[in-house]
Amino acid sequence: MLRKLYGDMTRNAFAYRMLIPYVVFLALLVLYPIIANFVISLQADGLWTLKNYQQVFKEPVFAKVAFNTVIWTVGSVVLQLLVGFVLALLLNQDFRGRAFFRSIILVLPWATPDIVVGVAWQWMYNDMYGVLNDILFRLGIIDYYLPWLADQDLARLAVIIANTWKGFALSAMFYLAALQTVPHELYEASEVDGANVFQKFLNVTWPILRPFVVTTTMLTTIWTINYFPLIFTMTGGGPANATDTFVTYAYRTAFRFLDFNRSAAMSSFTFVLVFLISLLYLRALSRKEAER
Amino acid sequence: MRKYAVLVALLLAVLVSGTAFAQDKLIVWVGGHVVEQEQTWAEIISAFEEATGIEVEYRLIGFDVYYDTLVTAFSAGQGPDMTFADLGGWVPTFAAQGWIESLEDRLQASDITEQIWPNLWPTVTYNGERYGLPWYTDCRVLMYNKIMFEEAGLDPEKPPVTWDELLEYAKALTDPRQMKYGYGVSGKRSEVATLGYMIFLHGAGGELLTEDYSKAAFNTPAGLSALKFYTELFTEHKVSPPATPSYGEDDFRSMMAQNRVAMAISGPWAFPLIEMANPAIVGNYAVAIHPYSAEPASVLGGWASVVSSTSKMKEEAWKFIEYITSYDVWRMWIARHGGPMPTRMDVCYDAPEFDDPRWEVILEAFPYAKVRPPIPEWPEVSDRIQNMIQVVVTGQATAEEAIAIAEQEINAILGN
Repeated sequence: MLRKLYGDMTRNAFAYRMLIPYVVFLALLVLYPIIANFVISLQADGLWTLKNYQQVFKEPVFAKVAFNTVIWTVGSVVLQLLVGFVLALLLNQDFRGRAFFRSIILVLPWATPDIVVGVAWQWMYNDMYGVLNDILFRLGIIDYYLPWLADQDLARLAVIIANTWKGFALSAMFYLAALQTVPHELYEASEVDGANVFQKFLNVTWPILRPFVVTTTMLTTIWTINYFPLIFTMTGGGPANATDTFVTYAYRTAFRFLDFNRSAAMSSFTFVLVFLISLLYLRALSRKEAER
Repeated sequence: MRKYAVLVALLLAVLVSGTAFAQDKLIVWVGGHVVEQEQTWAEIISAFEEATGIEVEYRLIGFDVYYDTLVTAFSAGQGPDMTFADLGGWVPTFAAQGWIESLEDRLQASDITEQIWPNLWPTVTYNGERYGLPWYTDCRVLMYNKIMFEEAGLDPEKPPVTWDELLEYAKALTDPRQMKYGYGVSGKRSEVATLGYMIFLHGAGGELLTEDYSKAAFNTPAGLSALKFYTELFTEHKVSPPATPSYGEDDFRSMMAQNRVAMAISGPWAFPLIEMANPAIVGNYAVAIHPYSAEPASVLGGWASVVSSTSKMKEEAWKFIEYITSYDVWRMWIARHGGPMPTRMDVCYDAPEFDDPRWEVILEAFPYAKVRPPIPEWPEVSDRIQNMIQVVVTGQATAEEAIAIAEQEINAILGN
């Protein structure tokens, strides 16, 4: 075993040497902040302590913030996957102007800066001047203007909808790329076998898409947990902490209250959480690979 | 081997470049509402360069990103030599972090000091020493829309004086079907919610913290009556727009410009802004001392000049501060822009531009203006006040419950 490893090493020594600069830079760029963050989180007033973690977990709003983070993440991820999936299927069809629609639909939300998206949605949600209330009112769906960002549940929904718009493009792009890899002959073959649209999807498209779904879900979950500019510009975590997540909490603690140690404790906690989620996904992924 | 040497040299060059070019210019960062006056800043700075021979490199930074920019720069040890800090607690906060220099000795020796409004000094004091020289200031008053007053059959020359009148007027001015509202309650999670509560609290004769800032002092009958009155304007009387928990002063100012909100807390910085939002509002808005139940009240704000503790050009930075705070520079500024309010009493009294009914109200209200507690914990204390208001206006808790929780949390923050 060891000999084999050593053999590999010597055979690939040149390749490894080529890799060294990248590994070193990656280590510096990734490991250094993580370690520094853990170190800061374990200090208070120049002493080593667990005080910061205790403070974070004892925080009266901790349960609420955790709940919000789950709602925000699950809501955004599920909606982004669904919208992205449907859009990818649609954009995979042959129709006139496909390239145009692809670029508009897939690139526009993704390329718009976070803060611009936040401010734009904030205006659309505005209760008095907002376009959303106006449309819903004219359609007769609501009979009074909804205070979108001022009500706890509506605000949670509002940030998730905005985030879905911002993020679905990425999922859609992944799925579209995956769909393009499905060999056309398979569809033709199944057609010969008399499969209908749903059977084709289930037996041809889905097995190929499945690993992409798992990977995309993992990536969007991680990004959503860590994503904060949208919430920050739209609600600032309010009303009454309804849209406060782990990262808005960490940001506020560091850059408003200048309590970097406590903020680092929250960030480290979030890091571990995200890390565990990634591990779970990776395991699920490798098990699926093995099954095949 | 040579390849490695080249690599190492390259790395060193990258690392060193940040510090290699020895600083020979005074770095100045300007923030706050005054950054809009770009041309004036350019002229002030070149006049200063000419008079002193000190070269200045300056940046004007918008308010939204200013605090974060400063905090990031200072915590990285890369702060500007001289900059402005908000009088709402930034000076003690920065001083506690060791980011800024005590100016006590320089202030003692300067004759500018005696011209500064005396109620400003607590905002720049930390541990008994002064860390900043206030540059411009303001105080919060009631701004109201005269057109809406007339439409509602109210006398636009007689703004409300007491809380009862405020409520009565606000009810008369509110018409939800036309989306017109009498009074804007700042319910947003932002400093403005704290400021709104403070004006009602002080107007009821209450105090936020004890005199030595060691404990919460607002859970009293006065403090509770202020919280109840302030929030009930929205929850009970509905004289503030439905999305109040997401609105603040700036939103209400825009709505007032469109004749949607009749009264709201505002200040002198808002004069040019409301006129910019709707030129037709010129002459159709006015200000008055904010209504109160026990005594007139206001909260002051503004900006102070501070010097970075890591600066290598402290002497030059102080010269710049003295220059911009001089009588002549201020008179020039006021003659040109009409505001904001200088921290120098002599300029306030001498400038003909302040012979204006709006400015008379500001100068009349100023002596009543209280400071926000100048303590490093202020941002977090203010956050709890904002939260207290938000849980009440969103119906999560009663005023009694919310005030008790806020008191307990603030005492914990202050170390009790």
